Amino acid sequence: MEADMLVNDYLGRLEAAAWPLNADRRRELVAEVREHIESALAESGARDEVTTRNVLERLGAPEEIVAAEVGSPGSEGQSPVVTVVQIPGRRGWGASEVAAIAFLTVGAVFLPIIGPLIGLAFVWSADAWSTRQKWVATAIVAVLLVLPILFLLGLTTGSSSGQSLP
Amino acid sequence: MSTDILGIFVLLLVPIAGVAAAIYLVITRRRKD
Repeated sequence: MEADMLVNDYLGRLEAAAWPLNADRRRELVAEVREHIESALAESGARDEVTTRNVLERLGAPEEIVAAEVGSPGSEGQSPVVTVVQIPGRRGWGASEVAAIAFLTVGAVFLPIIGPLIGLAFVWSADAWSTRQKWVATAIVAVLLVLPILFLLGLTTGSSSGQSLP
Repeated sequence: MSTDILGIFVLLLVPIAGVAAAIYLVITRRRKD
C-alpha cells in the first residue's frame, strides 16, 4: 500500500537522521512519531496517498524533528511527543481552507445553495479540520437548508387541511 | 405565496447557514492551533 510505504520511508529517514541520539531515545522518538502519524490518519478518516502526504508534510522534515529534539535545552528529560505535537500548529492557512471559508460566506450570498455546497466540498478536501468538525459544518448548512423545505411542507399541509374543512 | 416564502427563506437562511458553518470552522481551527 502506497500510504504504508510513505510512512515507512518517512520513519526510515527519521531513524537515519536521529543518529546523534542514543539507541533508546531514537527508538522512542520513532515510536512516538509513528503513533502520531497513525492518530493523525485515523482522525482524518482516510488513509490514501494524498492524506498521508499531507500528514507527513505537516510533521515537517525528519531532520527538523531531530534538530528540534537535539537542540532543545534540557531535552534529555523531555518526552519527544512535546516536540512532535507542536510542529503541526505552525501551519498557516492553505488554499483549500481559504476557498472553503470564502464559498461558505461570500459564495452563499452570490451563489445561493451552490456556493455553500462548493464550500463544503472544499471543507471536506481540506486537511485543517477533523472529520468531526467537517460533519458539524455540514450539519449546520444542511439543517438550515432543510428548514425552509420543512416550513413549506408545513404550510402546504396546513393550507390543504384548512381547505378541506367545510 | 408559499413559493415566495420559500424564496425568502432560502435567500436569508443560505448565507446564514454558510456564515455559521464558516464561523464554527474558523473558531475550532484557531483552538486547534
